[in-house]
Amino acid sequence: MGKYRVAVDVGGTFTDVFVFDEEQGEITVTKVSSTPDNPARGILEGVKNSAVPLQDITLFSHGTTVGTNALITRRLPKTAFIASKGFRDVPEIRRGTKLELWDAYEDVAPPYIRRRDRFEVLERVDYNGKLLTPLDEEEARDLVRILKRRGVESVAICFMNAYVNGQNEQRMKEIIQEEMPDVYVCTSSDTLPEIFEHERFSTTIANAVLGPIVSKYIQELSASLHADGYNGDVLVLHSGGGVMTSETVPRYAARLASSGIAAGAIASAHIAKLCGFQNAIGLDMGGTSTDISLMYNGELRVTKDWYIEYGYPIGFPSIEILTIGAGGGSLAWIDEGGSLRNGPQSAGATPGPACYERGGTEPTNSDANLVLGRLGTELLDGQMTLNIEKAHEVVRHIAEPFGYTEEEAANAIIKVANANMCDALRLISVRRGYDPRDFALVVFGGAGALHGAHLAKEMEIPTVIVPPHPGITSAMGCLLVDVRHDISKTYLVNVKEASLDELEKEYINMEVEAAELLAEEGVADDHIELTRYIDMRYMGQWRSLSIPISRPIQSLEEALEQFHKEHEREFAFSNPEQGVEIYGMRVTATGVVPKPDLPTSEPEGRLEDAIKGTRNVYFEESGGFTESTVYNRSLLPVGSLFTGPAIVEQLDSTVVVPPGFIAEVDAYKNLILTYKDKEEK
Amino acid sequence: MSQHTQSQSIATRLDPVTFEVLKNAFVNLVDQMSEQILRTCYSFVIYSRDFSSAICDAQGNTIMQGTQDISVHVGTLHLTAKAVLEDFGDDIHPGDVFLVNDPYRGGTHFCDVRIIRPVFYNDQLIAFMQSNGHWADVGGTVPGSFNVQSKDHYGEGMRIPPVRLWSQGRYLSDVANLMVSNMRVPEERLGDLRAQSEATKVGEAQLVRLIEKYGLKTVLTAFEEVQNYVERLGRSRIAELPNGTWETTDYIDMDPEIGDQLIPINVRMTIQDDEIYYDLNGSHPYISCFLNSGFGASFSAVISGTKTFFPDIPLNSGFYRFVHVELPENSVVNAPWPVAVTGFCSGAYEKIMNAIFELWSEIMPERALACSFNLEYLLIGGWDRRPGYDNYFMWYDWMAGGHGGRAHKDGANALSPVFGVGLSIQPCEGQERLSPVITTHHEIVTDSAGPGKFRGGAGVRKGGILTECENTVMSYCCDRSRSVTWGIQGGLPSLPHGAKLHPDTEDERFLGTIFSNVPLKPGTSFDRPSAGGGGLGDPLERDPRLVLEDVIDGYVSIERAQKDYGVIIKEIDREIDLFEIDKEATQQEREYIRTHRRGWLEEDIESVEARYNSGEIDALDVIRRHGVIIDYATGKALPVSTEQYRTTLHKRTLAYWS
Repeated sequence: MGKYRVAVDVGGTFTDVFVFDEEQGEITVTKVSSTPDNPARGILEGVKNSAVPLQDITLFSHGTTVGTNALITRRLPKTAFIASKGFRDVPEIRRGTKLELWDAYEDVAPPYIRRRDRFEVLERVDYNGKLLTPLDEEEARDLVRILKRRGVESVAICFMNAYVNGQNEQRMKEIIQEEMPDVYVCTSSDTLPEIFEHERFSTTIANAVLGPIVSKYIQELSASLHADGYNGDVLVLHSGGGVMTSETVPRYAARLASSGIAAGAIASAHIAKLCGFQNAIGLDMGGTSTDISLMYNGELRVTKDWYIEYGYPIGFPSIEILTIGAGGGSLAWIDEGGSLRNGPQSAGATPGPACYERGGTEPTNSDANLVLGRLGTELLDGQMTLNIEKAHEVVRHIAEPFGYTEEEAANAIIKVANANMCDALRLISVRRGYDPRDFALVVFGGAGALHGAHLAKEMEIPTVIVPPHPGITSAMGCLLVDVRHDISKTYLVNVKEASLDELEKEYINMEVEAAELLAEEGVADDHIELTRYIDMRYMGQWRSLSIPISRPIQSLEEALEQFHKEHEREFAFSNPEQGVEIYGMRVTATGVVPKPDLPTSEPEGRLEDAIKGTRNVYFEESGGFTESTVYNRSLLPVGSLFTGPAIVEQLDSTVVVPPGFIAEVDAYKNLILTYKDKEEK
Repeated sequence: MSQHTQSQSIATRLDPVTFEVLKNAFVNLVDQMSEQILRTCYSFVIYSRDFSSAICDAQGNTIMQGTQDISVHVGTLHLTAKAVLEDFGDDIHPGDVFLVNDPYRGGTHFCDVRIIRPVFYNDQLIAFMQSNGHWADVGGTVPGSFNVQSKDHYGEGMRIPPVRLWSQGRYLSDVANLMVSNMRVPEERLGDLRAQSEATKVGEAQLVRLIEKYGLKTVLTAFEEVQNYVERLGRSRIAELPNGTWETTDYIDMDPEIGDQLIPINVRMTIQDDEIYYDLNGSHPYISCFLNSGFGASFSAVISGTKTFFPDIPLNSGFYRFVHVELPENSVVNAPWPVAVTGFCSGAYEKIMNAIFELWSEIMPERALACSFNLEYLLIGGWDRRPGYDNYFMWYDWMAGGHGGRAHKDGANALSPVFGVGLSIQPCEGQERLSPVITTHHEIVTDSAGPGKFRGGAGVRKGGILTECENTVMSYCCDRSRSVTWGIQGGLPSLPHGAKLHPDTEDERFLGTIFSNVPLKPGTSFDRPSAGGGGLGDPLERDPRLVLEDVIDGYVSIERAQKDYGVIIKEIDREIDLFEIDKEATQQEREYIRTHRRGWLEEDIESVEARYNSGEIDALDVIRRHGVIIDYATGKALPVSTEQYRTTLHKRTLAYWS
C-alpha cells in the first residue's frame, strides 16, 4: 500500500492534479479540463485519472476558484444585510472612490447585496463601546419575519462600532437563529473586529455571500471523496497562505474569495528556502498575466488592502500578490502617439498567439519569442507545432513602422515586455525598501523561464531558480502549507500609556480563540505555533506597520525599536524622537502540517546525452543570432553545469540561458542560473 | 491598432524600446512618490488621497503626473515649479528643497502645499520632483483654513510664495518653525513636510538610477520626447474631430453682496484642426466670497474637463500645447491677489468642468455626461469635552454624491466629486473616535437622482448630533442650492444642496451652502444632502421597467415615479418586492405630463412660491416641474435667478422634448 499526498489546483481552463508518492519520492501530474458548472466533478475526475487509490491518500489539499467565480458572476445566495439605522447604504457608498479616475464610463462593480436586500434596525453603540440604544427587539423580530418571507438564505449583521462592542450584533444573530435556524449568519464583530465600517462590513458581506456556497462545495467534495475511500480532511487553501478545513470554512468563507492565488507564492518561497535563500521574489508568468510575490527573512509579505473587485475590500490578511497584464499571449501594439506598447490586452487562449494558428492576427510575446528562436517550433514534446511564418507575419506589424527587421522588432517587443515586468518587480521590491541584489528570483508558470534570466540581469538579482516543473509549481504549493488562521483586532493606545498586562490579556484571548479553531480542525496541541504581531504608527500618522512581538510580551521597547527600523527600511526615514501609537493586534496560529520532502537525486548520466541539438537564437548582447545548444531538461543530470547561450526544453516550459549565464542542476533538479560577469559589473 | 501610425512613430529621437521603457519608468517613479506619501502622511486630507506628484524638467514643464492624482491639481504642477525657477533662478543648488502654496502663482488654494526638490546630475539642474498635498490646516481665522467670510487672503491662511526649506542639504528649522507656528497642530504639519520631502527624495533616487543606466543625454531626450508624445497623441485625436465652436454657461449660486443673481461662468470652445481653444470671456467679475478661482485652478479645471474625454492620454506639459486657455483678468475664473479663492473647488472649478462636459457631450455624444453634484465641505470645530478628552477637535467632512446621467446608462450613484473621484470619504467610526459628533445617518437619498431617460446617480445625505462639546461652530463650503445640478438632452435637475440644523423638528433651520461660525451646542443635530446627478434624455422615455426596479430599490419613490417619469406603479406587497406597473395609467400620465409640462415651466413665480409655502407642492416640484429658484431659508422665490435658470432649462432640457 502506497502513501500519497494529493494537491489539486483548479484553474479556469485546466484542473491540475499533483500527486506526491511519499514512499518513492515521485511526482506525477494529471491534467483534466475544468468543470466550472460543478468544479468538484473535475477534481474527482482528475483524481480518478491519476490512478491513486483514494484510501491511500494521506493528505488532500486544493485551491479552488469557486469563491472568485461566485463573486464575479454575482451568482450568490439570497443574502440580506442588516445595518444600524441610517447606515444601510454603507456598502454602496463605500469610500466613494473609483479606480479608473478619468474614464467617466468605467464604473465600480455593483455591490454584492442590492439595496432592496439591505435593511436597518434601531440600535447604536458609541466609539467607546457604550450602549447608546439597545437593539429594538420588536423591530428586529419584525425584520426577521420579513426576511423569512423573502426566502433569505444568508445574513450579514453589520452595526456601527461593533468592533468595540458586538453585543447588539450578537443579540440580532440570536433572534435570527431562533426564528430561522437554517440560515447562515455572520456578524461583523465575529468576522473582523476592526475599526472602519466600510472595510469591516465589506469583509462581513463577502463572508455572508460566500459562506453557503463554499460550505456546500466543500461538503459535497468531502462526501464524494469519502465515499470513494478517502478518510482524511479536505484541506482548502486560503488567500492568507494557509489551509483550512471544512470546519472553519463557514466562519472565514471570504478567505476563500481567491483560494488558489497564494499557491504559487508559497511554492516559490518553499523552493527558494530549499535552495538556501531566505529572500526571494516569485514570478509566475502564464498566458495572460504575471503574478509576483516577495519573501523577506523567510516570510511572504502580507497585505490587508485586498479585494476581488475594486471597492469591496476583504480585510483578512492575504499574501501580497502583484498581478500585471504581461503573459505569453500579451499583445504588442503601437499606439496613436507612436509608442511601442505591450499588453495588458492579451490574445488569451483564443485566438491565442498567431503562431498557434487559432486565428490570432496580432503579434504576441510568444510570436516574438518564436521569431527570436527562444521558443522552438515544437512544444509539449512535439504534441504542438508552432507556425514560425505566421509569427514573422504579425511581427512585421511592428517592424515596418519603425523600419526594423523582424528580428529587431521581435527583440524590441520582448524588451518592452521585460521592462514592464521589471517595473512590477521594482514596485514590490525597491519601492518597499528591499534591495533586489539580496534576493533570488524564482521563475515559473509556462512563460516565466523564457524571460527570467534577462529580468534578473536587469534587476541585478544574482540568482534565478527554475523549479523542475515550472508549469505545475502552483499546484505543488497546495502541498506545502500549514493550517493557518489570523485573528486580528483594532487596539488603539499610545505606546507610553499601554499596559503590558492588558495587552498580554488581549493576546491570550485571541490565542485561545485561534487555538479553538485549530482544535476544531483536529490539530494536536503540540503542532500549534502561535506568532504575535503588533501594528504601530507615529502619532498623527494614518497608516501602520505590522511588527512581530515576543510571546509573552517582555517589553514594548524591542517592538518599538523594530518599528523605527521597519519605517526606515520601507520609507527611508524614521523619527525615534516622535511618539508612537499602537493601532492593532494580530495573532497567527499555525497548525503545522508535515511537509513532504521533495525528491533529491544523485548525479546520473552524461550532459552530452541531454543535448537535443543546436539552433540559432537571437541575443542582442551577442550581436544577433547566436548558435545555442538545446538541452532536453528531463535528461539533464543532477550536478551538471553548462553556460549560455543555451535553451532548455521540457514538457511544460522552455528555459532561456542567455550568453554570460551559467546554469547548474541542483539535487532537487532545480535549474540555477547565475550571471558570471556579475563580479565585474 | 498599428495601421495608421507609420508616419508618427518615426518622430521620436529615441529607439522605441528606450522610449517606452523610460516613459513607463517616469510613470513608475511618480507613482512611487505617491505611494510613499499615502503611507507616511499626517494630514487626513492627504491620506484621503487629496495629493499629487510630478516630475518636471529643468524648465519646470511637467514630464509626468501620477496616475492616481486628484483632478484638481492637474495642470498646475508645472506652474509652481516655474514659480520656483522665477524666484530663485541661478540660486538653486543640490540639496535644496522649496515649498510653495501660493494660488496667485499657479497654486490651487493655500492648503495645497507643494514641496519641490531640484534634482542635479554632475552639478547640472536636470529636473524637479514635486509632492503636493492638502494640509489639514495652514492657519487663518478658521480651523481647516476654509474661511467663508474672508474676502481676501489675509483671513484665509498663510500665503507662502516659493521659499527655501533645505539649503544645500541643511534643514532651515527657523523658516519651517516660522511657517508652522502660524498653523494649527504644528507638529503634524512638520510631519507632512518631512513625509513629502522624503517622497521627493524617492523620486530623485529613481531618476538618478535611470541616468546611470541610460545616460544623461538619453534621459534628457526622453523628457522632451515624452511631452512630444502626449502632444502628438492629443493632436491626432483632435484632428479627427470636426472644426467648430461650442458655447455654454454654468453658474455659481450668488455673490452674497449682490443677492438674487446667479453668477455666470461662460465657456466658449473652438476646435481648430488639431488644437482646442477655450475662451472664458463673458464670465462674471470676481465675487465677494471665496468661491473665486485663481488662474492655476481654472486652468486645471479646463485641462481636467478635457482630459475626461481623452482618458487614456497621459498627463504632462505636452497636453498644454494643444489646449489653449483664455481666462479674463479680474474675473471669477481668474481672480487676482488678494481676492479670496480658497473655496474655488466648490465654486468656479466644478462649474468650468461641468460646462466643459456639456460641450464635449455634443461632440462625443457616446461619452455624454450631465452635471454632477457639487463638492461640499462641512467643518465643525470646537472644544472636545468628552470624558478623557480636553482638546480642540475638528470634524471636517465631505460626501460622495450622484454623477450625471450618461449616453447609455444611468449616472454613478454615490461617487466622489468630479473635483477628484479618487478622493475618499472618511469612515464615520474614525470620526466618532476623534470628535464629539455622532453620525446619525449616512445614506442614499431617495429621489435625489435627476430624472432622465438615463437618470443621474443618486446622492447621499449625512448628518449627526453633537455630544459633549464647548465653543463649537460650524462652517460650510458648497454651492448649487440655486444653480441646481442640471440635466442635459431633455434630462431634469436633481435637488438643491444646503445644510440644515435640527432637521425634521420644529426648530429646523436652513443655512444654505455658504456659511461660517454658526454656533452649535451639545444636542444640536444637523443634516445635509449631496445632490444626485442631472438626468440625460427625456424622463418620459425611460423604460418603465427601469423605473420599477428603482422603486423596488428605493432610489425612486412611487410618488416621484409618477411625477417625474409618468410611470404609475402599484404597491402590492413591498415586503417581498411585489409591485406592478399600470401600463394604461402610465400611458395616460405620460400624455398628461407631455401636454402640460411646458406650461408648468412658465407658471408665474409668485404662484409657485405660494403653492410651495402652502405645502401643495414640494421642493422637487419647484425645481423639476417649475424651474423656480427659492431661497429655502426664507421661502421666497428669487426672480432673477429663476429667470436665468429657466433660460438654461429651455436650452438643456425643453429643447429636447418631443
